[in-house]
Amino acid sequence: MAIDILLTLLTVVFSLMVVFSKKTVVAAFSLLMTLLVIAMIYFQLGTVFLSAVQVLVNAGAIAILFVFVMMLINLEQFQNNREKSKWKLVVSTLTMLVLLGVFALVINNNIEALSVVNLTDNSMKTLFAKLFDVYYLPFEMATVLLLAAIVASIVITSHDRTEKLEEK
Amino acid sequence: MLEAAIEILLKTVVILALPLGALPLIIHVERRGAAFMQKRLGPNRVGPFGLLQPLADVAKFMFKEEVHPSHVKPFFYTAAPVVALVVALLPLACIPVAGPIEAFGRTIYPEVFRSDMGIFYAFAVSALGSYGILLAGWASNNKYSMLGALRACAQMVSYELSLSTSVVAMIFLYGTNDIHLMVSAQTGYWFGVIPQWGFFYQPVAALLFLVGIFAESNRLPFDLAEGESEIVAGYHLEYSSMKFALFFMAEYIHMIALSALFIIMFFGGYSLLPGFDLIAGNNPTLIVLLQVASLTIKIALMIWFFVWVRWTLPRFRYDQLMNLGWERLLPLGIANLIVTVLFVYFRNR
Amino acid sequence: MSIYYYLSAFLFCLGLLGTIFKKDLISILLCLELMLAGVALLFILFSKATGFLDSQLLVIFMMIISACEVAIGLSLIIALYRKKQTIYTDDIKIITE
Repeated sequence: MAIDILLTLLTVVFSLMVVFSKKTVVAAFSLLMTLLVIAMIYFQLGTVFLSAVQVLVNAGAIAILFVFVMMLINLEQFQNNREKSKWKLVVSTLTMLVLLGVFALVINNNIEALSVVNLTDNSMKTLFAKLFDVYYLPFEMATVLLLAAIVASIVITSHDRTEKLEEK
Repeated sequence: MLEAAIEILLKTVVILALPLGALPLIIHVERRGAAFMQKRLGPNRVGPFGLLQPLADVAKFMFKEEVHPSHVKPFFYTAAPVVALVVALLPLACIPVAGPIEAFGRTIYPEVFRSDMGIFYAFAVSALGSYGILLAGWASNNKYSMLGALRACAQMVSYELSLSTSVVAMIFLYGTNDIHLMVSAQTGYWFGVIPQWGFFYQPVAALLFLVGIFAESNRLPFDLAEGESEIVAGYHLEYSSMKFALFFMAEYIHMIALSALFIIMFFGGYSLLPGFDLIAGNNPTLIVLLQVASLTIKIALMIWFFVWVRWTLPRFRYDQLMNLGWERLLPLGIANLIVTVLFVYFRNR
Repeated sequence: MSIYYYLSAFLFCLGLLGTIFKKDLISILLCLELMLAGVALLFILFSKATGFLDSQLLVIFMMIISACEVAIGLSLIIALYRKKQTIYTDDIKIITE
């Protein structure tokens, strides 16, 4: 119980830093810490393999991409990253609080049915038994989607190098 | 509950103390090995055969003046070497130093972190390895450091791919993630002489993994992050004395952790070396001690191999390196994976 | 452990607030990642509460898709930066120029 509260508090602190920090670079590293703490939460819930995949994919690849791109475009010049209009700030915060209240109410009403009992078998074999069986098509489509994403990012960011030589 | 906590604490202390204690010896081996390969003598003044030289190095690092440049970003500058060291130590948690020990009425597994995913944990946390270098290069606020850090990060991410294909092929071959099962699948001999190590089953995967671990630990021929003659000193340019020592330590510990993984998958892990099982007989204590000794000897030979390659091969150019990682090794890894899958399928029918 | 439900709702709403608040594209992408993390946590909680394992597979698919999305989003940001030298959403409102 204490571990749950500690992990929740850590996640709350880091995610608040992501949204409310003035410097974007601090936000990116806070996102990394949020993802790592969420991986610890997954471990605490019993899904050990998913916590490793979270570290590997989310924290070890996606967050690295963010930090890499921030260094490439030299984000230091873009530090002015928050909405200035007070009216918009107040309304959006109120909306978010209302939404959060609705979610909390729904969770509260059903909290007995939702209590985490760890009914599942935690081994990897039972988890992936359905991946190559029932969900084979989504799996293959995810592979094709990854390939499309790779090709797309290469095509979008490749610039014609011969143009610059001709200019000079 | 208390017993479990004490057990984990003891194991953590042992698994942390072993590489950190072996570090001075490795540094000394590197410097003497480098010297012998370059036809000179190396440090041999401090103590017999220069064995106290690392001690002198540590003393130098501790008493050297800490230079705090004013142009660095304060928090990340200090955090980077710590991050590098912590992330380098993490893969050691899942490496067992011996087989399961039967003592005090139950089975003790001599690894700090035992879980369902076994060896997969080590590869998950070694994906975080780029952060130390990235933070260091970026926080130094220096064009050369930034360049070195970006190149090193791109290199590490690229070679993780071919590493992963080779790891997946090996996990497929052994059919399990569990390190103890992997090692016990590699005991036994062919013709009584050649041990049934993973290296002989999958030489291609072994080669891919070997190249991958050289790239992951930023050792020559893949060390353009800290290329001495190219970009001054790369990502650890702005770091002096103790912080630099932390980076140094992080690199060697990363080397030890990755070579331990290589040995577990391809060279039998802690399984006894060819002559040892005759000595061991059936005495359980002796078997455990000889297993620890076998693992240590194998890791020591692997570290010597690292040093050997470092002072033999020249550094890769950046485009050659990317070419190798993406256009040669990755297709090779995927082809190896396909062949392994077919082989396992037909073997199990 | 049921506190994690509230945490998941909080992460989602906070990410939503961030995507509305922030003015540069990279911060918007960061907050989008936060929303995805909240939803993934919710799926795993549901899987643990009902014993239905397919939700965890869905989380793995979500990670794959989020990786693709971040990759393409970041390459679009780089292409935009090369053209316009800016990543603020205010500066790219005008289509023709």
